This record gives sequence, C-alpha cells and structure tokens, in this order.
Amino acid sequence: MPEQRITVTIDDAGQITAKTAGFKGEACLDELQSLLEELGTLQEVKKTDEYYQQNAVTVKHQQKLGRT
Amino acid sequence: MSAVVKTVTPFTQRDLLLEALDELGVAYQEKGNAIMTERVDYYGAQCFIYEQGAYRFQHDSSANRQNYHWRKLNFKEWKTVSAFLGAVEKAYHQAYERLQQRLAEEERRRLEAERQRFVEQQKQAVIQRAKEQGYNVKETRKGNKIQLQLVRTTY
Repeated sequence: MPEQRITVTIDDAGQITAKTAGFKGEACLDELQSLLEELGTLQEVKKTDEYYQQNAVTVKHQQKLGRT
Repeated sequence: MSAVVKTVTPFTQRDLLLEALDELGVAYQEKGNAIMTERVDYYGAQCFIYEQGAYRFQHDSSANRQNYHWRKLNFKEWKTVSAFLGAVEKAYHQAYERLQQRLAEEERRRLEAERQRFVEQQKQAVIQRAKEQGYNVKETRKGNKIQLQLVRTTY
C-alpha cells in the first residue's frame, strides 16, 4: 500500500525542518502547512527533484526562542 | 597643599557584608539595623549601621591610631579602623564577585531550561497534530536534534 512519510527534524534551538515523500501534487505543501501551522515562521520552501517526479518537498520553519 | 581622599566602597548589601565578615572570621551580632562586631573600643562595640542605603561603620574616631588602647581587638593585623575596613572591603568585593558568578550561572540555567521547554513544546505540538492526521509517529535522536518519522498508509 502506498505510504506517505514526513520526516520532521527539530534542532536544539527549536527550528523545524520537514521533508515529505509519497504525496501527490500540491498535497505535500498543504499537509506541511496544516502540520506546522503556528509553530514558526516559514523560512524557505525547497522543492526537491522528487517533487517534480513524485511531489516531495522540504520546508524549513524558523522559530526564535524568546521570553514569554 | 593638595590631598586625595578615597571613600570605602559603600556596603549596600547586607548579605554580602555578612558574608565578608564571615570570610574574615569576624564575630558579629545583628541588632535592628546594626551589625555589632566584636571589635570593642572606648565607646563599646564597633558596628555597621544601616543609614541612607548603606552600612556605615561607627567607631571611636581615635581608634585609627596605631597605639590606641582597645578594650577588645581579636585581630592584631587590623589594629586600625582603616586596616579593618580595608580588609572588609576586599572580602566584600570578593563576595560580590561570587554573587555575580552565581547569578550568571542561574541565568544560564534558566535560559537553558527555557530552551528545552520550547523544543519539547514544539515536538509535542507536531506529534499531536500528526496523530490527529492519522500518522504513526516514531521519535529518534540524532545528536542534538530530534527526528520524528511520521508515516501514514493511504488506500
């Protein structure tokens, strides 16, 4: 059965990088948006080679740690 | 004639002053806003009195003479008031340095705890949303980084 996979990496400052695999069309961006919404400011979206073949995409969220 | 005078560092912090006296091995007793020392001159125990934001040392003005007849003076190396205050001042500065180091360490720990809380919060938010969206979540660590593998089977 087809599998959708998202690899989310959170570094020691809380910055999030997410990479998708197995999505079709723009669905990967929608999926990442709903998953990472409000967790940080989007820094960059890099469409991978796979995106054009299999629609994979990598996004990077940046959240600066601040006092609340 | 010209002259240069220098005042003693104002002892503004009670805790630091007491720490300095402890460091020097000077016995004392607190009475109201005064710290009575074991140095006793003609008028009685010399003391630090808190006035206008700092502790002022109260003593017989003649007690700065080398040949002053003390009623009680345990520390022969500080025969004069100036010598004693010089030693207190030095110990007070050292106590202040230690306080600064403690505060810096506490601040470093506070910031580190805040950072860890934030990262954990980010992680939990991603996990919760992923589960709500039907993903299986597997968490691993790669050095300082947390990696979450979100996998969902489509039909």
